[in-house]
Amino acid sequence: MEKVLEILGLRVYYELPQGTVKAVDGVDLDVFKGEILGIAGESGSGKSTLALTIAGLLRPPAKVISGKVLFRGIDILRLSNDELRSIRGRKIGIIFQDPVTYLNPIYTVGFQVGEVFEAHRGGKILKYLNEVINLFKAVKIGDPERRVYSYPHQLSGGMKQRVLISMAIAEKPELIVADEPTSALDVTIQAEIVELLNEIRKELNTSIVFITHDLALLLEIADRIAVMYAGKLVEVGKTYEIYKDPLHPYTKALISVLRYERKRRPTPIKGSIPSLINPPPGCRFHPRCPYVLPKCSQVDPKLVNVNGRYVSCLLVGGSDGGGS
Amino acid sequence: MTLVRYLVRRVYHSIPTLVGALLFIFILVRVLPGDPARLIAGPEALEEDVQRIREQLGLNKPIHTQFIDYVTAVLKGDFGRSIKFGTPVINEILFRLPYTIILALVAEAIAIAIALPLGIISALRPKSKTSYIASVISLIGASTPVFWIALILIYIFSVSLKLLPSSGADSPRHIILPAITLSLVLMGNLTRITRSSVIEVLSSNHVLTALAKGLKDRIVITRHVLKNALIPIITIMGLQVGNLLGGAVITETVFAWPGIGSLLIDAIFFRDYVLVQGIILFMVLVFIIVNIVVDVIYAYVDPRIRDVLWRMS
Amino acid sequence: MENELILKNLSEARKKQLIAMWEVFKSNRVAYTSLYVLLGLIGLVIVGLFYTPYNPYDFDLSRARQPPSLKHLLGTDELGRDILSRLMVGGRYTIGISFISVLLGSIIGSTLGLISGFFGGRIDTVIQRVVDVALAFPTVLLAIALMVSLGPGILSLIVAISISTFPTYTRLVRGVVLQVVNEDYIAAVKLLGKSSWYIMFRHVLPNVLSPIIVQTTYYLGFSILLASALGFLGLGVPPPIPEWGAMISTGRVYLFSSPHIVVFPGLFIMITALSFNLIGDGLRDALDPKSRMFLRRF
Repeated sequence: MEKVLEILGLRVYYELPQGTVKAVDGVDLDVFKGEILGIAGESGSGKSTLALTIAGLLRPPAKVISGKVLFRGIDILRLSNDELRSIRGRKIGIIFQDPVTYLNPIYTVGFQVGEVFEAHRGGKILKYLNEVINLFKAVKIGDPERRVYSYPHQLSGGMKQRVLISMAIAEKPELIVADEPTSALDVTIQAEIVELLNEIRKELNTSIVFITHDLALLLEIADRIAVMYAGKLVEVGKTYEIYKDPLHPYTKALISVLRYERKRRPTPIKGSIPSLINPPPGCRFHPRCPYVLPKCSQVDPKLVNVNGRYVSCLLVGGSDGGGS
Repeated sequence: MTLVRYLVRRVYHSIPTLVGALLFIFILVRVLPGDPARLIAGPEALEEDVQRIREQLGLNKPIHTQFIDYVTAVLKGDFGRSIKFGTPVINEILFRLPYTIILALVAEAIAIAIALPLGIISALRPKSKTSYIASVISLIGASTPVFWIALILIYIFSVSLKLLPSSGADSPRHIILPAITLSLVLMGNLTRITRSSVIEVLSSNHVLTALAKGLKDRIVITRHVLKNALIPIITIMGLQVGNLLGGAVITETVFAWPGIGSLLIDAIFFRDYVLVQGIILFMVLVFIIVNIVVDVIYAYVDPRIRDVLWRMS
Repeated sequence: MENELILKNLSEARKKQLIAMWEVFKSNRVAYTSLYVLLGLIGLVIVGLFYTPYNPYDFDLSRARQPPSLKHLLGTDELGRDILSRLMVGGRYTIGISFISVLLGSIIGSTLGLISGFFGGRIDTVIQRVVDVALAFPTVLLAIALMVSLGPGILSLIVAISISTFPTYTRLVRGVVLQVVNEDYIAAVKLLGKSSWYIMFRHVLPNVLSPIIVQTTYYLGFSILLASALGFLGLGVPPPIPEWGAMISTGRVYLFSSPHIVVFPGLFIMITALSFNLIGDGLRDALDPKSRMFLRRF
C-alpha cells in the first residue's frame, strides 16, 4: 500500500523549568493512502503533541530531539518555514479539539475559511466567496450563502466544528490530522461529525489521522488503531484485530472495559498515567500492569512485528527488547 | 440605527454617575473654609455688600435649592462667573482649551508612536534588546514623578544645551518639552498593556488555526494577533485620558503652558473657587464622554460585544 | 465532622499557597533586590527619626546651594540646609503618608468590596454607584480637588489619597468575591450555620488577600508619586516640612545654577516608587493567574 506519512523514531520534548517533558518518546508509525488511522490514548499520553508535529505546528518550548516525519518522502521537520507553509493547509489539514477557541472571534467564518485559498492561491478573499459557499455545502452547513457572513459566536458548537473542517479540506489535502475533533461536542453532533469525516475520506481519498481518548469511537470509524501510552506506542494493528484479540495488557484493559460495559462492572486500570518528566524505568506500563514480570521494570520493550501487527510487550512475541 | 440606540442607552446609564459627580463637586466647594461671598467682595467690603453678593450667588437659599440651581445652570452650559476675572467660567475654559487639546494630542501621538511598536516587538521577541528597553520605559513611566522629569528635561535641553524653550507657548518649538514630558506619563502604561495584550493573543488557539492554514507569518501577526490585541489597548487608552488630564495639570504648570491644567492651579491660588469648580467639572465631563466613546468603539471592533450590547439596546 | 475537616484542610492549603507565593517571589532576583533597596531606604528614614547629620531646618545662607561634598554628601539647598538630612526627615512624611493613606484606602475599599460582592442587592448597587462616581474623576484630579477643599496639611493628604485609592480596591475585591462565593466550600461553611460576617472575614477575605497585597504594593508606589506631586503643586504638606515633592518645588527656581537641589529628592522618590513597582511585579508573577486579571498598575 501507498504510504502517505512515515514517522521514524520521533522524539519531541518540552524543556520546562520543572524538567524535561518527554511527550513523544520514540514513535514509529505509517499512515497509508485513504485510510483512517486512529490514535488512542489518555490525556497526557503525548497524542496532541504528535498531532502538532505532523501538522508542522510545533512551537517552543516543544523541541524535536530526534526522528523523521516523512510526508510523501519529504522530511517536514527539515523544511524551511516557507516550504512548510506551502504544505500546511494545502497538503496537510488539521482539525482541532475545541471549535470555540480555534476560530478568531472578530472575523466572519466565511472570511476565515477564504483565508486558506488566499494563502495558497493569492488574491482577494472575496474572490473565493463561491468556493467557500460550496465548501459549506460540502460540510452540510445549512443556508451557506448567509452563514459565510456569520461571526463564530453566532454559530453552535457543531456548526463551528464544521467550519473548521471546511478549512481543513478546502485545498483537498492528502492528509488530515484530527485532534479530538468531537470531544467538545454533544453525542448526537459527535456522530454527525464522525460521519462527515468518513464521507470526506471516501470522496477525496484523503488519509485521516484521528486522535482521541475515546477508543469506542475509533472502533467505529478507524481502519487501523495505534494505542499510545506515556509518549510511546504500545500496539498498532487493524481495528477488528485489536478489538478481537488485543495483545498488549494496556490495550486489553481498555478493550475489556468496553466489551463488558453493560454486562458487569469492568475492572478499571488501577493507578494513573505516569509523569512524562520522570517516566518509570523499563516498560512504562509496568507499575499498572496485571501481568507484570520482574524484568519489566528493567527492559524497555521495542515495538515488534507479531503476525502483521505491532506490539511492545515482553510477554508477547518473544520480544526481549534486545536486552538494552 | 442600532449604534445610535446603543449610544443613547450608554449616555442614559451614565446619568447617575454624572449627577453623583455634580453633587460631589458641589459639596467640595460648600465645605471650603471661609465665606465665598466675603472672598469675592474682598476683606474691606461692607457687610451689606457681602450680603448683596450672597444673594446674587444664591447662597442664602436652602442647600438643596442651591444644588438644583447649580445643576440647571450647568445643563444650560452656565458654569458661573470667575471671581478673579469676572468673566463667565466657560469662556475662560474655552479660551485655554485649545492649548490643552494640542498638548494632549501631540503627547498621545508620541506615546502611541513609540509605545505600540515597542510593546508589539517586545511581545514577539521577548528576549531582544527592544524588549529590555520596553520594560525599562514601562517601569520609568510608572515610577518617576512627572514634574521631576519635566525639570530634568528643562535642565538638559534648555539650561545645558540651550536647544529648546522651557516655558510659554509662543512658537511651535515651545510644545516639544511639555509634549515629551506628558507622553512619558502615558508611554509606560501603554507599552506594558500592548505587550501583555499581544502576548495573550499570541498564545491563543485561533492563532494556531491561522498558522495551520498556511498563512504568511506577517498576515497572521497583523490580522490575527494585532487586530485582536488592539481591543484591550483601546480600552486602556480611554482610561488613560484620566492620566492625561492629571498629567496635563502638572506638566502645564511646570512649563507655564497656558492650557486648562495650569488655569486650574492658578485658580486654586487665586482662591477663585467658581473657576476651580468649573474646570474640575469640565475635566470630569470630558473623561466621562471619552469613556462612552471608547465603549462604543470597543463594541464596534469586537463583534461579540457588538451583538450583545446592540441587541440589548 | 466532615465539613470541619474540609475547612481545616482549606486553611492549611491557603497557608501553603502564601508560602509558595513567597518562594516564587524570592527566586525573582530583581524583585528580591528591590525589597532590600526599599528596606534600606526605610531604614534611613527610621534613623532620621533619631539622628540626622545636620539639623534639617537650620538655615545658613553662607553655605547655601553647595554642591555635594564630603561635608554635605548631597549638598545644601537654597537656604543652606543639608539635603541628606532633609531627605531623611522628609521621608517620614512622603513614605509615612503614603503608607497610612493606602492602608486606609485598602481597608475601606476592601470592606466595601466584600460587602458589595457578598451581599449583593441594593447595598451592592449603592456601593457601586459611589465607586462609579469616584472613578469618574481622574485620580490626580480627584486628589487635587480634595486638597483644595480640605486645605493643605498632613491629615488632608491622608484623606485625599485614601479617597483616591479606595474605589479600585472595591472593584478588585468585589470581582474576586463574586468568583469565590459560588464555590463549593462556601456552601459547606454555610451548612455549618455560621454567620455571614464570620464567613466573609474568615473564608472569603483570605481568598482576596493576595491580590490585595499586590495591588497595595503598586498603590504604595503610586501614592508616593501622588503625594509628592501634590507637594510640588503646593497643595501638600505646608513648608518648612521637607516633604520630597515640596523640596523639588522650592528648589526648581535654582535649577539653572544648582540642579542637585532638584535631582536628589527626585531620585529618592523614583527609587522608592520603582522598588514598590518591582516588588509588585514580583508578587504578581507569584500570584495565581486567576486573581491576576483584576489588578491595575499605574
